[in-house]
Amino acid sequence: MKILGIDTSSVTASAAVYEEGKILAESFVNGKLTHSQTMMPILEDMLKNARLSLAEMDAFAVACGPGSFTGLRIGISAVKGLAFPAQKPCFGVSTLKALAYNLLGFEGVIVPAMDARCGQVYTASFLAREGRVERLTEDRALSLEQLGEELSAFWGEKEVFFVGDGGNLCYNKFRQEGRVCLPPPHLRFARAAAVCLAAEQEQPQSAAELAPRYLRLPQAERELLQKQKAKGEKTNDCTGK
Amino acid sequence: MERFISHSAAETEAFAARLAGKLSGGEVIAYFGGLGMGKTTFTRGLARGLGWEGEVSSPTFALVHEYRCSPPLYHFDMYRVTSFDDLYSTGFFDYMENGGVLAIEWSENIETALPEDCIRISFDRLGDEEREITVEGLAL
Repeated sequence: MKILGIDTSSVTASAAVYEEGKILAESFVNGKLTHSQTMMPILEDMLKNARLSLAEMDAFAVACGPGSFTGLRIGISAVKGLAFPAQKPCFGVSTLKALAYNLLGFEGVIVPAMDARCGQVYTASFLAREGRVERLTEDRALSLEQLGEELSAFWGEKEVFFVGDGGNLCYNKFRQEGRVCLPPPHLRFARAAAVCLAAEQEQPQSAAELAPRYLRLPQAERELLQKQKAKGEKTNDCTGK
Repeated sequence: MERFISHSAAETEAFAARLAGKLSGGEVIAYFGGLGMGKTTFTRGLARGLGWEGEVSSPTFALVHEYRCSPPLYHFDMYRVTSFDDLYSTGFFDYMENGGVLAIEWSENIETALPEDCIRISFDRLGDEEREITVEGLAL
């Protein structure tokens, strides 16, 4: 089964075609966030260079969140459009799970972290062992302090790998705590090939069912509201302007 | 901190156009000050200074206007943005990544989400036309 995977969940964009243990094609761009302009040309060129056609694809996979609001919508819309005409199956993969699959074959705790702004990261923990990746926690937005508390069980016990665009942030915060590792760039950032690998564990959906999975930032929301309240700003009344 | 006294909309525009010359892209400019203070006028000056010749108006309804100058200018109005989900779904954080200048009206509404190194511009009313404009975070 040939799976075409796409990731546009952060500043990087990538596409890949995967078939039973083989990556047939992959393309990765780390530029500024203009996925709406870059994604389709990347896809077209990659398929052309690999002598593949869209018609040959059996399924589509996409990193469906958490991540950049516009980025997720671009990737998911693209996959919906590609899969819809022939009603091909789609796999919506957690961006964090796909990041953990970058380190498939490693031994230790994998902590993908994406910068969610306002001192928070989108994160989850995974246990990598014996060539498998098992999920330990669900995807959430946490402050670095909250993540630190959660990871304290692993310090001194297991090696902890930070991946994702918030990996560097976490590594610098926790490097004194235990055996932590920041993998090199080719393993650290979201890759469409890893999206395809992670998709093999997912249930297929129709193009129509595929939807972004945004994560709320409860702490940032609370702080924003407190600040507005403290200022006595009543901003939800549009007629007052 | 820099202070400038403007006596007219034209002077506000000219001051903003001069300030635009100090921008290289990636800056976040947060405006503070209420209605009719000249925030949109100031942004028009910024846009002119960056080479934009088209229309500049308050993005109250569209939430963001894009001016394709160099660097591009993204003009936000946060008046109707009252929750973090609202802010996230304007694409605000994505705009911060793509090398343009962000100019934000009603920054009061998103103060905790502003980057620490943002440029803060406050408008104070001195008379019908006169405004005191205070710039923090950028040397002129």
